[in-house]
Amino acid sequence: MKDNGWLQRLQDELAQAWTVTVKDMKAYYLRPGMIMFGFLMPFFMFFSFSVKREMAAAQGVARLLALTTFFTAAAAGPFIIPLERRLGTYDRLLAAPMSLLTLLLGKTAVGAFFAIGVSALALVVGVGIFGASVAQPWLLVAGILLGSFSFSALGLIFGSIPTRNPGDVQMPSTLLRWGLLFISGVFVPLAEMGAIARAVAYVSPLTYAQDLMNHAVLGGGLLSPWLNLGVLLVSGVLFLVPSVKMHQRSRRLGY
Amino acid sequence: MNNAIQVQDLTKYYGDLLAVDHINFTVHQGEVFGFLGPNGAGKTTTQRMLTTLLEPTEGRIVIRGHDLARDPVPVKRQMGLVPEESNVYTELTAWENLMFTARLYLVPRDERAARAREFLETFGLWKKRDVKVENFSKGMRRRLSIAMAIIHKPTLLFLDEPTPGLDAQSARAIRDLIRRLNAGGTTVFLTTHQIEEANQLCDRVAIIDHGQIAAIDTPERLKEAFRRVQSVEVALEPDGAAHGEPLAALPGVTTKVKMGDKWRLYTDDPSALLPLVMNYAQSQGLRVVSLNTLSPSLEDVFLEITGQQVGAVRHKTQEGKPRRRGRRGQMGGGR
Repeated sequence: MKDNGWLQRLQDELAQAWTVTVKDMKAYYLRPGMIMFGFLMPFFMFFSFSVKREMAAAQGVARLLALTTFFTAAAAGPFIIPLERRLGTYDRLLAAPMSLLTLLLGKTAVGAFFAIGVSALALVVGVGIFGASVAQPWLLVAGILLGSFSFSALGLIFGSIPTRNPGDVQMPSTLLRWGLLFISGVFVPLAEMGAIARAVAYVSPLTYAQDLMNHAVLGGGLLSPWLNLGVLLVSGVLFLVPSVKMHQRSRRLGY
Repeated sequence: MNNAIQVQDLTKYYGDLLAVDHINFTVHQGEVFGFLGPNGAGKTTTQRMLTTLLEPTEGRIVIRGHDLARDPVPVKRQMGLVPEESNVYTELTAWENLMFTARLYLVPRDERAARAREFLETFGLWKKRDVKVENFSKGMRRRLSIAMAIIHKPTLLFLDEPTPGLDAQSARAIRDLIRRLNAGGTTVFLTTHQIEEANQLCDRVAIIDHGQIAAIDTPERLKEAFRRVQSVEVALEPDGAAHGEPLAALPGVTTKVKMGDKWRLYTDDPSALLPLVMNYAQSQGLRVVSLNTLSPSLEDVFLEITGQQVGAVRHKTQEGKPRRRGRRGQMGGGR
């Protein structure tokens, strides 16, 4: 058996992660579950909490971008992985010659690219139709990229729960997403929160994504944009840890 | 002889339920190795451990000299897996399924399309290559699933119940393919409860029962070891069906089984039983329509080893209390 060098191995694993991503994009992006939870839900949420409230177009775009990045990215993992476990196709991926981390990176990218696409659409609508402008485009790009990967990794934690029933996963993942939404300064700005509420908000990575979008679109936020970027980067990496642990547990349990 | 697979003290508990109980066996390179057992005996659990899908509780698996627990990735490149259910992507076309697998197994870019075409033609799916698999029949999905498992030309192929539920033509095509792959040097690990299939295909078989290996040998040697399940099959007229009890009472008959319009009488000495059957027929004024001596089939051996009565309902899982952690040797089913 040929033992490839580490560089070749890394190249192979990246190619395999990309293969998983492309396959999932083809197979699942147009599935009703993905469209419902990943595409329609953030827009419903936005309109539910924004219509008939006095809000500048730019403020609305910043909120919508945080919503699409968060909701869309976190929708993929809880939908796709339990579905694949139920159909037996996940075994095909687990038996393939790649590391678990490679598989998880590939799956993370699926949600992330979906969120980037939906966020880009939201941005086009915000700028093109509502006339909003973007104050710091590079920050916007970095925020959408990092936020999408971080929240997709968050969704992956729920997808990694050892079960073959997507329903077992949707419930806790939806609960968490809704919970985070209301404590993260999306609907009530961080600056208007009390001390305790703000302390709670700092626990949520969505707080940093929203603040980053405020910087990028409105030109200012409460926290440092570098802190926001750093938190999203670190949380994205940390979110992979429980996913790895739960996959190892699944392998022991036989899921 | 080189070993493709070496299994040492392999054990699996689900919670406190013992599914596989310290089993040991080797699979030689280039052979078709059958892994037989009743439902719940531990076949699929064992195969899932061999293919890294399930972590053993104890024990060691060495594949082509590599410890599977240390670095499974290079070993997995040599493996192909056809699970019991055809796990194909129904949202993709047959062509997309194959190309996806080829990329996943790092088949060189310039060979992917040629191999995909070769296998689609071999499996009679070329004309359907651009059809989404959700429109495929069960047999077509099975063929595609096998094509996906071998597109990277593995040296070790795991097949879990490859033919149940297929029509006779598809099942035969898959058996022929297994033979061809094996003739080309692929080692095949065949998990099945279809005993005749194992008899036709396998160089050696292991019989697992209640999580333990009950026997490993070639099908013919296993049959030889179970001479006591030789039999005499007799059809009598008129009203042959009514003579089961007196035939079973003949000296040397261990078990009787009604086989259609015939009686099969199990014995360890068919030559001694033959004249007794003839005498009985003559004394009762019956005509002997047919009288044959039969060697034990692999199915007889299987039923004998797994403790199921010869001629009873086939493949019925034994009932019993599950074995629990720390109580080895009791009856029970695995998973």
